[in-house]
Amino acid sequence: MAKALKNIAFTSLVACAMLLVGISCNDNCMGNSSGIPLAAFYQDENLVSLNNITVYGVGAPNDSAVVRNATVTQVYLPFRITEPECQYVFDYNVDGLENDTITFNYDIIPYFESRECGAMYNFDIKEYSYTQHSIDSVAVPSTRITNSDVVTIKIFMQ
Amino acid sequence: MKHLATIFCVASLMVALSCSTVMGQDQPQRKVTPVKPSTNTVLTPPKGTDEKIIQQYLTGDTAQARAQERKDSLARIYPHYPKLTELWLGVNFGDALLMAFGQKYSSFDVHATLNMWNRFQPHFVLGFGRAKETPDDMNFTYTGKLSPYFKLGANYNFLYKKDPQYQLYAGVRLGFSTFKYDIDNVTISNPYWGEYESSFQLKGLSSSALWGEFLLGLKVGLTTQWALGWEAKFHGMFKESKNASGKPWYIPGYGSRNGKWAFGISLYYTIPLNRDRWPVTDDGKKGNRNTPTEAPSRAPVPVK
Repeated sequence: MAKALKNIAFTSLVACAMLLVGISCNDNCMGNSSGIPLAAFYQDENLVSLNNITVYGVGAPNDSAVVRNATVTQVYLPFRITEPECQYVFDYNVDGLENDTITFNYDIIPYFESRECGAMYNFDIKEYSYTQHSIDSVAVPSTRITNSDVVTIKIFMQ
Repeated sequence: MKHLATIFCVASLMVALSCSTVMGQDQPQRKVTPVKPSTNTVLTPPKGTDEKIIQQYLTGDTAQARAQERKDSLARIYPHYPKLTELWLGVNFGDALLMAFGQKYSSFDVHATLNMWNRFQPHFVLGFGRAKETPDDMNFTYTGKLSPYFKLGANYNFLYKKDPQYQLYAGVRLGFSTFKYDIDNVTISNPYWGEYESSFQLKGLSSSALWGEFLLGLKVGLTTQWALGWEAKFHGMFKESKNASGKPWYIPGYGSRNGKWAFGISLYYTIPLNRDRWPVTDDGKKGNRNTPTEAPSRAPVPVK
């Protein structure tokens, strides 16, 4: 009996060590590595793709764009982390169609998500405004922007 | 005439036979003994048989002796340990061992277990845990400050018929901890907006957690009083206080928040209680002082 139990104990020790190693190797971040809003385009409650659109932030260095002359149904709009406000321009690249601009004001929230995803900023959107050349309305279902990979800004087109 | 002679002969024979039978009943019966002279042996009890039982056999009280033998046999098959069998005091150093394999947190606890009937075992744990981790390719340093934790629970020993030195048990635990932690050296960059030097730190964060554990364990005696034990635990969170700055990575006594399994190894010191009421064990080491050190395991056997 004693010998059998000692054998079982040794076996379980090895098994648990292997289990721990296995578990530690399977840890992954299931979201983004930072808090970032994801905007999607809708028309009549249906997801719609916009052709040849350019989206860029006002004041972004080197006039860099988030997307340029691309066909998209959704686009990430990273917020500034040193200022509580940012603006994005939506250039439809269509003659006679004016650009739209969405302005966001928000609080910057330092946040520790997890060991796998790390520390990051989350954002609480306080208010937002937009032009309505081609945009019908903008909705923010949840004002807290986290690293979750879900649509947080809905842009309804005319 | 010939027929008459035959009938007379048969009748005479029957009369003679009946007379011999009647006469035979008056004579003493022949005694038959099972013991042959060449195998004349003396019945002796097996070694260790209770002297009381032997005396009962010798005095002819075989019914009482057999009843006592049956009682001893039942005690062997269904050993009954006293309500307060023993007390274990233990230290869990599993995390210290796992730190050698790269684990970045550690807890150290002392625990007390009351072994009741060698079957049910209430269990109490008091411990402290801490963590320090700067993961590779990540942007923070996590410091879990030394904080206490408590656990309350019970075990069920599947080997309750065996020597308490060797146990295979399942158990449940309810754990609680209140603790503080810091997140330091956080650096965040935002390439799109050209913001590369943003940093922050979260100091003095506090939280508390309540969790449950299912476990399987082994306890193996090293000596009469010292033993080693292994436990594999599956745990889950019941409740934790919310914190606006994020959830803790390490919870003292629980381990990593995302881990569902934990492992423990403990050294035990055993304090026997009511040992004089313990039943006889197979090896006879912990025999009851009021009962024979070795109960009879077979009927008396003949020896020459």
